[in-house]
Formats: sequence, structure tokens, C-alpha cells
Amino acid sequence: MSEASKPKVLVCDDEIQILRALRVILRDTGFQSVPADSGEEALDLAAVEAPQAAIIDLVLPGIDGVEVCRRLREWSQMPIIVLSAIGEEDAKVRALAAGADDYVTKPFGPRELVARLEAVLRRVRDDPDDAVIHSDGLDIDLAARVVRRDGAEVHLTPTEFDLLGHLARNRGRLMTHRTLLAEVWGPQYGDDTQVLRAHIANLRRKIEPAEGPRYIKTDPGVGYRFAG
Amino acid sequence: MARAAAGRRRTLRAMADRARPLLLRTQRPSTATGLAVAVAAVVAATALVYPLKTIAPEVSLGVVYLPAVLLVSAYWGLGLGLLTSLLSAAAFNFFHIPPVGHFTIAAGRNWVALGAFFIVAAVTSTVAELARARALEAESRRREADLAANLARSLLAGTSTSEALGTTARRVAEVLHLPSAAIELGAVPGDRRRLALALRDPQRDQIATLLVPSDADHQVRERLRTQIVPALEALIAVALQRDRMQVEAVETEALRRSDDVKTALLRAVSHDLRTPLTGIVAAGHALGAHSVTDRERDELSATVVTEGQRLSSLVDKLLDLSRLQAGRAEPRRQWTSLEDVLLAAREAVAPGSGRIVLTVDPDLPAVLADAAQLERAFANLLENARRYSSGLPVSVHARASGSGVVVRVADRGPGIPAAEQPRIFEPFYRGSADGQRPWTGSGLGLAIAKGFVEANGARLTVESLPGQGTSFVVTFPEPDAEVTA
Repeated sequence: MSEASKPKVLVCDDEIQILRALRVILRDTGFQSVPADSGEEALDLAAVEAPQAAIIDLVLPGIDGVEVCRRLREWSQMPIIVLSAIGEEDAKVRALAAGADDYVTKPFGPRELVARLEAVLRRVRDDPDDAVIHSDGLDIDLAARVVRRDGAEVHLTPTEFDLLGHLARNRGRLMTHRTLLAEVWGPQYGDDTQVLRAHIANLRRKIEPAEGPRYIKTDPGVGYRFAG
Repeated sequence: MARAAAGRRRTLRAMADRARPLLLRTQRPSTATGLAVAVAAVVAATALVYPLKTIAPEVSLGVVYLPAVLLVSAYWGLGLGLLTSLLSAAAFNFFHIPPVGHFTIAAGRNWVALGAFFIVAAVTSTVAELARARALEAESRRREADLAANLARSLLAGTSTSEALGTTARRVAEVLHLPSAAIELGAVPGDRRRLALALRDPQRDQIATLLVPSDADHQVRERLRTQIVPALEALIAVALQRDRMQVEAVETEALRRSDDVKTALLRAVSHDLRTPLTGIVAAGHALGAHSVTDRERDELSATVVTEGQRLSSLVDKLLDLSRLQAGRAEPRRQWTSLEDVLLAAREAVAPGSGRIVLTVDPDLPAVLADAAQLERAFANLLENARRYSSGLPVSVHARASGSGVVVRVADRGPGIPAAEQPRIFEPFYRGSADGQRPWTGSGLGLAIAKGFVEANGARLTVESLPGQGTSFVVTFPEPDAEVTA
């Protein structure tokens, strides 16, 4: 693959060491990194270089990572992964609310980062007009409201189907409890995580293999993501 | 009904307090006055009977003497009242009962008049006496309440009980007209000159002692026993309870602050340890990538080394700080050349860098200090100064001051606002100027510097004007002065 045809990933971190390491890691996994050492530079480069995705550190000099997410979302749907540390939970949730797709905790393993990056990029590649989402043995027909696992139809309640459909349409993206509740049940359910947990448990019983969740991954205390 | 009656009683009492009638004055008018009033009243009544005789039979005019008997009995009591009765009976008999000018005791009606006067005198004086006694009692209760209120004010107004005890004792002395009085916490034995009265809490444990002159008379002692001691016991118990609660509040505050420090420590560990770790882990992975070039390999291995050093320096600081906070930074003090210490500190912070300009006066005396600890202190000061000097050189000037030494570390940074200056030596405190570029420092350097400087008998102070840079000044006292200090 030539350098030019590799997907560009904007990387924003104020630590030059992280930028250097990520440049090598991303290039090695088939991406091309666009480094920025401040939020302002990241916003400029996002416009100039038109990257396919962005990796943004939450703690930045000047405008912080949450603000960068918010401003990027004003005009771009590119997937955004934020880098955060334990102890920055608030900033993490704020970043997700501001439009980030997912986060990776520092110090991160590059394999995990790249896997998340590929997952969120898959969402972008999904054709929005294609009503069927295929994922590793699971087929979700959004138009006919039918779910098949390994070809056999799985019976879901309407709420379970809405929940699964919502997660699958945002595949790779970490959906916070609040977002899922608001989108599937309505804004007035924003804090009722109990309801959400119960439906996720039912959904998993019906679609997940016995050995453990493959499609719906839990992010404790934050939300769920469709990982297929 | 009952409530209305009670309300009326309250109103009456209030009125009585405002204008106490003559009858209820606690001090009775003198007996001589009483005699004079008695005689005058009897004379007046006798005189009054003459004109009245024209409209009524004289026998029925004995009642004219009644006001005299009432008046004297009410104000001067039974004795004078009986005397007035006798005088009235005698005067009536002599001047008005025929045969006028003679005492005629024979007639039974004369005895009836005298008896009636006696009964009026007895009843009136008893009622008046009772009223007076009640007033006296009310007055003494009021004084007792006033005293208790006064004692409460003086005991509870101050910030601590032990401070308020002196004022309270003076007030007790004033009230009892004693030359002196003292209150001391705990049990204090009396002696020849002073009588010790135990003050006990509700559990009967002695909490304090009231000391009064041992020659206090019986009445004073009685008042002490019945009024002062119970009031003081209740009040001192409350005051001590308040003291305990204040101490608890202070301790809770201290705990909360120590929790704040722990939270800050966690945050520092979370971020300051993780940032270099992230760099090292990422660089390690990148070094294993297939496509890595030679130049990148050099950069990445340099990252591993510098980030490793950064981690190591942070761990050193955390250890220094915990040693200082646990009080285990015992200095091994010996005569030390400050020039050597400053050179080593500069080498540790900025190897081979001209960014730190060191000036040491030629005749600088040695200081008695732990060289290793001083190096840590100055290294932290230099690192801090360099961080905030906006790329401009940091100047370090050591000069003699008497036989002591003053070292001034000056940067040309943005300065520290006066309001922040007292806090900059607190662990994990980061100046507001750091907001521009968060987390550059650990927030530990100045705390460590101050800890080591003070452990070695010197002082660390800050002088800063916003916009003109900051100087940290380490003052080593003259060796003799410090020994005596």
C-alpha cells in the first residue's frame, strides 16, 4: 500500500514522545498519522488534511480534548477516540457526550488502540442505505426487523430490537447509558440504568454465545459498544 | 381561663418589677419613723373625730382610727401595729368616749374596739410581711438568674474555657464582695488562705475548683453553696463540652485536609506517573514495529530513557516528601561548602547547561548542614525556577551575611500573585499560571525544598512581583545564632 492511499489519522497529544511512538505504530498497522501537539493545531489539521479518524488526548494545553471533540463534531462525523487516564472519568464522559466515539485508557497497548480505531472506521464504511448489518455470524436486518444468528432467526421484543439496532448502527462506538436510554426509551429515562441493564442481559441471553459476550461489550460505569 | 390567669399573673409581675410599691420594698422604713407616723396618725384621727361627731354618734367613730392601724401595721409590722392599736383605743377612750378626759375601761364596747384594732393590726402586718418575704424571694431569684446569665456570658463568650475562667472568677468575687476568687480546671486542694469548692459535672466527676478566701463569712458560703456552685457547675460543663467539640471540629478539618492531600496524591500518581509510563510503553511497542527506521529507533530509545528518568525523578520526590512528612528526614549535619552543593544541584537539573548562572562570593563561609539534603532542596528550587523562567536564564547568587549565608534563586518568569504565595509550599499545589500548560511539574518540588531547608536549620522564603519574576531566598543563620535559637 502506498503512503498516500493509507487512511490518515489525526493524532493530538502534547507529549512529543507519544506522537513519535504512535507515528511508527500507526504506520506499521496501515495508517498514516497526522501529528498535532495542541488542540488548536488539531482543529486546523483536521480541516486541511481531512483525516479519516482522530485520536485526541483529553489533557491538552490551551483548549482541552473535550472541547476539540465538540468543535470537530460541529462539521465532521469522523470517528474520534480519546486518550484518558484513570481519574479522568468525568472528562471521559464529557468527551463522549461531546461526540467522541470511544476512549482508550493510558498507558494504552497499541494493539487495543488500533483495534478500536478499526472498529470505529468500520462504522463509517457501513453503507447507511444498507439495511442489513453483518457481523461475525450475526445478521441484523434493520428494515425487516429480523435478527439471525448463524442463519437461525432469533426472536426479540421490540425494545430489544431497538436497542440492538441502535448499538449496531453505531458499531465500534461506545454508547453511554444516558445516550442509549434517551434514544431507545426517550429522554425522560436518562438515568434509569436499571432498565437498560435488564434489557442488555435479556438481549445477551438471546444472541451471545454461551462462553461470553462477543457482540455487545460492557464498559463498566460508562456504557456499551457493539464490537462485532 | 387558666391561661388568662397565668397571663394576668405575668402581667402583674412585670408591672411589679417596673415600679415596686413602697409596701414591697425589701428594706423596712426605720422604727423611729414608724413611731412618729403612729403618733401623728393617732393624733390626726383623734382630731378628725371632733367634726364628725356632729353627724354621727361618737361610739361609731372608732373606725376613723383604722387607717392609722392599717398603715403602721403594713409598713412597720406587728409590734408597732399593736402599739398603734393601743394608742388609738386609749386616745378614743380618753378624748371621745364620755366621760371625756377619763379612761373608762369598764364599758364592754371599748374592749370590742381595742380587740378589733388588734385583729386588724395582726392580719395586716402578717399579710404585709408575707408579701415582703415573697418580694424578697423574687428579688433574690432575679439576682440569681442575673448572676447565672452574667457567668454564662463571661464563660461562653470567649474562644476557650480556660481563658474565660479569670473573668468569671472576678465576676463571682464582685457579686459576693470578696477581695478575690479563682476558678481552676481540675481538682485543686485548698490551703490556709483559700477555701476550695469542688465543681462537678452531672456524672459527679470533679471538673474544676472554685477558690475563695477562707475567711468568707457564713452568709457568703451559703450563697456560694446554693447559688454560685450549681450555676458554675452547669456552665463549666457546657463550656468544656464546647471546647471538646471545637477540638473535634479542628481534627475533622485536619482529617479532611489530609484526605485532600491523599486525593491530590492519587491524582498526581494517576497522571504524573502515567504520562511517562505511557510514553515508555508506546515507545517499546513502536520499537518492535517492522517498519521502524534507524532514526526512529534512536528517537524511541531516547524516549524510553528520558521518560524512565522522569519516572525515577518523580519516585524520588514522592519518597523525599513521604520521608519529610513522616519526620524521618534526620539530617547528618557537617561543615559543608555551599558552592559544591549548588554546583551539584545545577548538574543534576541541567547538565552542562548555561541556563543557570551561578555566582558565589569568594569568602562564603561553610554551613553546618546535610549536603545531600541541601542538594535535593536546591535541585528542586532550580528545577522550579527553570520551569517558570520562560526560557530566560535563572540566576543563583550565594553571599555571606554576617557569618551566615543567603542564597537567592531568581527567575524571570511571570511571578506569583500575592494571594498564591502562602500556598505554593503546600504539596501538590500548582500555581494558577500552570493552567496554561497543565501538569508540567509534580507540584512537589517547593514542598520538598522547604522541608529539607528547614530540617537543616535554614529558612526558605519567596519574594515575587507579578510580571517581574520570582526569587526564592534560602537564609542560613549565623552558626551561633542558630544554636541559641
